[in-house]
Amino acid sequence: MALLVAGLLAYAAVIGPFTAYMRDKPMEEKLGYVPSVKVMKSVSVDQKELAGASLVFKVLMYYGTLMGQAPKGTILKDPGDLQGMSRLLHGAVQLDPYNMDAYYFAQGILTWDAHQYQVANALLDYGMKYRNWDWFLPFFAGFNNAYFLKDYKKAAHYYDLAGDLSGEPLYKSLASRYMQESGQTDLAIAYLSGMVKTAKNDAVRKSYQLRLQAFLEVSRIEKARDRFARERGGMPASLEDLVRSGYLKPAPVDPYGGTFYLEPDGKVATTSKFAFGAKKK
Amino acid sequence: MLNMMRITLKGVFRDRVFQGIMALAVLFLFIPSAASLSMRQVTELSVTLSLSLISFILLLLSVFLGGTSLWRDIERRYTFGVLSLPLSRSSYILGRFLGLALFLVLVSVVLGVAACVAVNVASSLYPADRPVVWSFVALALVYATLKYILLVAVALLLSTVSTSFFLPVFGTICTFLASGISQQVYEYVHSAAAVQTVSPLFRQVVTAVYYLIPNLAGFDLKINAIYSVAPNPRGLALTACYFLAYTAILLAGSIFLFNRREMK
Amino acid sequence: MYALEICGLAKTFKGKKMRTVEALKGLNLCVEPGEVLGFLGPNGAGKSTTIKCLMGLLRPTRGSATIQGRDISSAEARRSVGYLPENPAFYDYLNAEEYLLFVGRAFGMAPELLAQRTEEMLKLLELWEHRKRLIRTYSKGMVQRVGLAQVLLHDPDIYILDEPMSGLDPIGRALVKEIILDLKKRGKCVFFSTHITDDVEKICDRVAVINKGQLLVVDSVQNILQQGTEGYTVTVVAGDGRREEVFVTTDRLQSFIRDAAGESRSIEKIEPRRKDMEAFFLEIVAR
Repeated sequence: MALLVAGLLAYAAVIGPFTAYMRDKPMEEKLGYVPSVKVMKSVSVDQKELAGASLVFKVLMYYGTLMGQAPKGTILKDPGDLQGMSRLLHGAVQLDPYNMDAYYFAQGILTWDAHQYQVANALLDYGMKYRNWDWFLPFFAGFNNAYFLKDYKKAAHYYDLAGDLSGEPLYKSLASRYMQESGQTDLAIAYLSGMVKTAKNDAVRKSYQLRLQAFLEVSRIEKARDRFARERGGMPASLEDLVRSGYLKPAPVDPYGGTFYLEPDGKVATTSKFAFGAKKK
Repeated sequence: MLNMMRITLKGVFRDRVFQGIMALAVLFLFIPSAASLSMRQVTELSVTLSLSLISFILLLLSVFLGGTSLWRDIERRYTFGVLSLPLSRSSYILGRFLGLALFLVLVSVVLGVAACVAVNVASSLYPADRPVVWSFVALALVYATLKYILLVAVALLLSTVSTSFFLPVFGTICTFLASGISQQVYEYVHSAAAVQTVSPLFRQVVTAVYYLIPNLAGFDLKINAIYSVAPNPRGLALTACYFLAYTAILLAGSIFLFNRREMK
Repeated sequence: MYALEICGLAKTFKGKKMRTVEALKGLNLCVEPGEVLGFLGPNGAGKSTTIKCLMGLLRPTRGSATIQGRDISSAEARRSVGYLPENPAFYDYLNAEEYLLFVGRAFGMAPELLAQRTEEMLKLLELWEHRKRLIRTYSKGMVQRVGLAQVLLHDPDIYILDEPMSGLDPIGRALVKEIILDLKKRGKCVFFSTHITDDVEKICDRVAVINKGQLLVVDSVQNILQQGTEGYTVTVVAGDGRREEVFVTTDRLQSFIRDAAGESRSIEKIEPRRKDMEAFFLEIVAR
């Protein structure tokens, strides 16, 4: 009896700090060490699909806390342990090559955040071998090729495939419509609004929404800039010019917390360097 | 034999095993909500979780029921009363095996219905891109059940030579784990990459072990059920034949060994 | 045809460290139909080993045995036998009624007969009220009674009982004795092992004494008791009516009777004074 009471008291004393400790553990630790895929494959025996799904969830939870922690309006400098997430997702599709969640999520972080377009495409190609009915994977691959890699021939091939699989002629026309440099922003907006609509997970949707917002702003600036150029016969000197002259109302806001500006060649950029503005050259 | 089978089933039910399973089956209620965590494949995830849960329950049953039923009879000296009846030892073993097999079938039918309900709820909340093909789910269940019935036969075989429950229980678990990787290991030692690093003797040992231990990977049709991928009919037929042949060998071995077993 | 015929039965156990234990060393024994044979021996003499060999639970190292002419290696040999294991244990997740039904089916009894006999046996052994209770809730004596019920259930011709009275209270022992005597009356063959000489003296026709795996004596109980007679206690009544008890050795009995007649003393009672079964048993085993 005394032992039971002592045990209960000790438990009550310890459980609070213990829970707090677990909760406040650094996030890098939370993603944790995952044994090699070979080991996982052996240990999961006939539960490979479950193991795969649990890996994806681990990443998703990690990403969710990451998004939740970032205060609104601040520059999201640290995209988290991208390598770790990528490793887990690759593990997941080796355990279950059909796991769509893994491809979907990998497409999101590998391209926008990690800029590893080739890795993303290799993963999508791997998935297409298995999910041969799914138009999402060629749709992603087409977008990556068209937008990031500027390989329009390959992009057209993937968009064709997506069109065939989905039975939607839209994807075929996508290819032709946005295959010029000038259509890049619209291409991204079309892609992102599609992703926002189909996203079920809050953290994922939030990240796409943020990016979509940024692109809508870029598009607005671009339209104002073009109107300015058409009507005044020359590029505006700066973003402030556009705002002051009334072409751009209200002033653009970077959802990532940065400030938009015009590069010397007229290209729209932002100080938050939300990946695409900075890298795209 | 039927008599023995009836007693086996009665024993399993009287030991409240079924109630235990039903307690575990409460987890099915959480499957739709757990599956809705998925980003793009709610229905698929609900099928995954359902089939995994059923597999896990069947695994526990086959290992513990299969591994302890003979041991318990011997340990508690029930065998003196039973084996002295005009009942051959082969019909004792077969009756035990069939009773346990029938119980596994019953459990998988009941849990299968529960799984179907859970999957239905999940897919009605978030309709799947690819509709669930129920016949594939049923096939996956049937083959999972066959797999664990085979595992029961493994447990019985080990029980016939063992005087404790350690060998049957842990031996069966090891067999199960090994069965999951035997194909991989076999393919590795016969791959070009392994030619230099693996000694020929080791390769032969691995090959021998590969043919000796059951290859249960073929019974796993989860992928087909989860992603509605049509299974290969020839593969299914071969797997069924493999099941029959391997189980027959295991049972024959169990009978042979149990016939020689002395009830001290 | 003998009810039981055991020819040169031997059993060697392999013990630890390559040691072997000879539990039975070539046993020969025949039991007639309708005979009650007590299998007497100290603990560890090989009684249970013999019985387990007969019931197919152990495989004899050498020798053979038949039950009603059928070799013990086949399950069919056990069809005409009712066997009570030593300290029996039965599937404790069943109730008494279910266990009897299980046993009856194993013997291939017709359903109606089985139902009727089950009821009879449960009532005979005073288990009727408890028939729906699981065996795991039974006391030791009740389990033993379940054992007897399953022995008697299919009304076999041969009964092989391993220590049927061990661990029973006096009431239980009396019940078992009564049952065996009843079987004897009905011409059944009973072969039972025991280490209690008193039981043998009271109920057996013959006794077989075993020690260290060897059969020492097989003889009728009557003979043994006769041979063990050391002398007689004679009660003599003198002319004046005075009673006197005199011990007379066997060889002097005849002359004593003659003398008594000559001295006009009447002999009222002659009682043999003998060693009992226990003394006999101890003597043999010690030899």
